[in-house]
Amino acid sequence: MSFVLDLFTMGAVLAGALFFLAGTVGLLRFPDPLTRLHALTKADNLGLGLIVIGLLPQVAWPLGAFKLIAIWLMALFAATTISQLMARAARDGEPVR
Amino acid sequence: MRWGERMEIADFLLTVAVFVLAMVALGLVRILRGPAAADQMMAAQLFGTGGIAALLLLGVATEADAVIDVALVLALLAAFASVAFVQGAAPADEDIKEKNHP
Amino acid sequence: MRAVIIRGAGFFGFWLVLIGADPVDGVAGLFTAAAATWTSLRLLPPSSGRWQYAALARLAWRFMQQSIMGGLDVARRAFDPRLPLQPGFLTYPIRLPPGPARNAFCAFTSAMPGTLPTGVDEHGALLYHCLDVNQPVVAQLTVDEELLTRALGGTDGDR
Repeated sequence: MSFVLDLFTMGAVLAGALFFLAGTVGLLRFPDPLTRLHALTKADNLGLGLIVIGLLPQVAWPLGAFKLIAIWLMALFAATTISQLMARAARDGEPVR
Repeated sequence: MRWGERMEIADFLLTVAVFVLAMVALGLVRILRGPAAADQMMAAQLFGTGGIAALLLLGVATEADAVIDVALVLALLAAFASVAFVQGAAPADEDIKEKNHP
Repeated sequence: MRAVIIRGAGFFGFWLVLIGADPVDGVAGLFTAAAATWTSLRLLPPSSGRWQYAALARLAWRFMQQSIMGGLDVARRAFDPRLPLQPGFLTYPIRLPPGPARNAFCAFTSAMPGTLPTGVDEHGALLYHCLDVNQPVVAQLTVDEELLTRALGGTDGDR
């Protein structure tokens, strides 16, 4: 059983790491600030989500798991709000100092 | 046996934590070069998400609950830091809002 | 008054999850929960509409599905050697009035594949930045708005 859970952890965490890779590759290759913002917010948030899901079987149930999910939700709320703020700033201040 | 298995998964998680940190570092280099101010604002966001992921991996791998708490604080602070960053870098925000809502 | 009790209990429960149940810490938690409740009531007064939980669950499901699609979409484009991007802006004539519901819509859609809300244009329509303007972005946003409106208890009718 624990072997199966470990396998699940490895799969999900690895998938999460791949999305962090994708986010960074997008950040390096995408041509302008707004497209880079797409890469950053979407790929990295999914990466964090997958890593959190992968870690769930490795922590104490239920409090440790709730805590992980709470951290994830906070990061998600922050990211979705801030990406709009940044997008607005990026659009209005395209050439910028 | 159980202990050995635990070590294996811990090593794996630590390796991934290092990998995620490397991705964050690479992204930061790109971001800090600019050219737009928005690029630099993304640094806070990237460091927030990637940092939280790396800390969680580290905390679970070493079974150190304190590290999870650090991730929690980072989740909170990254939000405030990013808002402050955007507000600070775009002081003309108020004018823009007025323009958009005639 | 109901909102005060529900939110207060929610914040205190959240404190217990994060910090753990300790009698001394619990006192600090009570004060923190009270402060959080006061702040939340000031920033987000209780609304009159009732939440529809079935629609809310469907919304959460769509959010999960679509954020996975969004991540995959970005990853596919980032790894493709030809870098297939058609970035551009389009406007979405939103029906939700400005306020919490619209903010929720913007937050929701910022995680969707290929869309990023960047503010409002001079006619009050939402201005979206798209990774690929050839994607059916407007159709997707319409579905999202409908789901969200239903989850919030059909608030767009009494506008």
